[in-house]
Amino acid sequence: MERKFFLLLLIALTVSLPGQSPTGSQIIEKVDHLLNPKTCWAKSKMTIQTSSGNERTFIYESWSKNHGEKNLIRYLEPIRVKHQATLMLNYADDIWMYFPRTRRVRKLATHAKKQKMEGSDFSYEDMGAGNSFVEDYTSKRIEDQTIDGESCFVIELQRKPDTDISYSRLKMFILKENFVPVRVEYYNENHPDQLLKILIQSDILNIQDIPTAMKMTMINEIDNTETKMEFTEVQYNIEINDALFTERGLKQ
Amino acid sequence: MKKVGLWIQTSLLWTTSLFSQSLDLFGYFESQFMAALVNSEILQMQSNKIRLNFESDYNLVHFGANINALTYHGKTDWAIPDYLPENVVEEIPVALHSYYTITFQDEWILDNAYIRLAFDKWDLTLGKQQISLGSGYAWNPTDLFNQKDLFDPTYEQSGHNAVRFDIPFASRVNCMFLYEPDDDWSRSSKLVSIKTGLGRFDYTLMAIEKGWTIHDYTAFSGFDFQKILDTRRMLGGSLVGELFRWGVWLEGGYNRMKNSDNFYEITAGMNYTFDFQTYFIIEYYHNSMGQTRKIDYTLNDWMRYLASEQKALNRDQLYLLIQHPISDLTDLGISAVGAGDGSIALVPTLHSTPFENGELLAYANLYLGPENAMFNRNLGNGGLIRLRVYF
Repeated sequence: MERKFFLLLLIALTVSLPGQSPTGSQIIEKVDHLLNPKTCWAKSKMTIQTSSGNERTFIYESWSKNHGEKNLIRYLEPIRVKHQATLMLNYADDIWMYFPRTRRVRKLATHAKKQKMEGSDFSYEDMGAGNSFVEDYTSKRIEDQTIDGESCFVIELQRKPDTDISYSRLKMFILKENFVPVRVEYYNENHPDQLLKILIQSDILNIQDIPTAMKMTMINEIDNTETKMEFTEVQYNIEINDALFTERGLKQ
Repeated sequence: MKKVGLWIQTSLLWTTSLFSQSLDLFGYFESQFMAALVNSEILQMQSNKIRLNFESDYNLVHFGANINALTYHGKTDWAIPDYLPENVVEEIPVALHSYYTITFQDEWILDNAYIRLAFDKWDLTLGKQQISLGSGYAWNPTDLFNQKDLFDPTYEQSGHNAVRFDIPFASRVNCMFLYEPDDDWSRSSKLVSIKTGLGRFDYTLMAIEKGWTIHDYTAFSGFDFQKILDTRRMLGGSLVGELFRWGVWLEGGYNRMKNSDNFYEITAGMNYTFDFQTYFIIEYYHNSMGQTRKIDYTLNDWMRYLASEQKALNRDQLYLLIQHPISDLTDLGISAVGAGDGSIALVPTLHSTPFENGELLAYANLYLGPENAMFNRNLGNGGLIRLRVYF
């Protein structure tokens, strides 16, 4: 117990010692830790604003385990996609989709991570690659900025060579107060100056002592569309059986 | 066997009553219009379908059922000789042409009705249920229960009355046993399969024994074509995974027949999504039962192929699909199916979700092959528009 306390104290000190400013990688590790709790269950509402001004709404449940390594998403609404489910293992390196109308499970290759999730502005990679910020990018802290009156760390994330991630770089604005990234900019894989998408996170609530952005909006700068995602219920660190993250669990 | 049937029916009745208070009811209505240009005449058929799904869960027990109601309108009798090559039609005496007709009849069927008991270590599914086997997209050599429509390979398949055990051994190892009862044990289907995952691949091995019925379309037994009863024993497998970021799959089966020639089927394919969101599939299919030259296609080959008794007329076929989202709600695609006889069918497709619970599918089928070939122009160029509304 004492060892754990000292470890936590040490981590806190490395990030917040007066006069000793945290580095980019230390900040990103904190963000990664915050975004990927041990387990998580959530019920979410996703609203897609199409370029023609139409709206599409999806409601789904999601489960994640092992700090985001295993993910399962199951649609509840609309009826058109009811019971359709996606299983992502190894931080979305392995993806299976279940189509209830044909009772067929298809294994998708990693190229499918680039596909839009149900036509939204979130790709499967955006949803499932939990540890990506740490594993696939090198991080560099640049000049702090203020967003909506809140002081933020600004981190430039550069894609590591030989990773198959879909973005060349990210720019992340992180609240100093609680390490929640409130704005993330995604840049083109081949043209690092071209801004593709912007993620805005807002309505931060403390749920089981974990600061949680209850609303997310992904703005697609290329297609002029946006997708809003909203947690309607969230629970952290609950018991989730490993059997859920199997083909059997996917089909149930 | 009757006892098994009675037990299944009783179980379903018990389940229906048990779940009556928490029954989830949903489904779709589908209206479809088809047209084809045949001998300078435009032939039309329309169909309407309602599919009602019933589902309920109670502790470890899941109940599911589907009822399909279908009506057909317009040209519902299709005389097969109108579409066959002349040299094949010559085999049919003119007086018997009326027997070679496909008729679309209104139907009302219980397509699926099953209960699934999900225990800690295994699942038992009892009743009429969908069976989906194999990793191929357009063809599934290991699926002896269904045949896909090449122009619409993802359309749902009918249910089969069966008893199925699924036993997962580890996170990526699953054993499946399936028994589909027929008139007697020897005609009944038995299936055993094991599926496992290793690295970036999923592997499945399976063995199936199935009573196999085909017809001799040149001989009559009373007012029907003569039945040929056979037994098919298939040893096959599939794998699906990833190579150099491309999705790849391979599926094949060797069929040992009791009363006819043994044959094998194999399919291999790959797919990819490009950065600009275009999706691409290519799949090759080989069936040693098929012919190599179009001149060798017989009346039996054609009729068995059209009646879905065999999967190929020609031994080699290739399927290509390119699909691209032209807007957030609409995909435009084109698929091409080519046969070893040099014929090809092109299928431009539009798929859209114009409203929340609606789907629109439109495709044209253009046969570009020469006379006598598998995809010859006589088959009738045409198209289909389908609007589906989910409720």
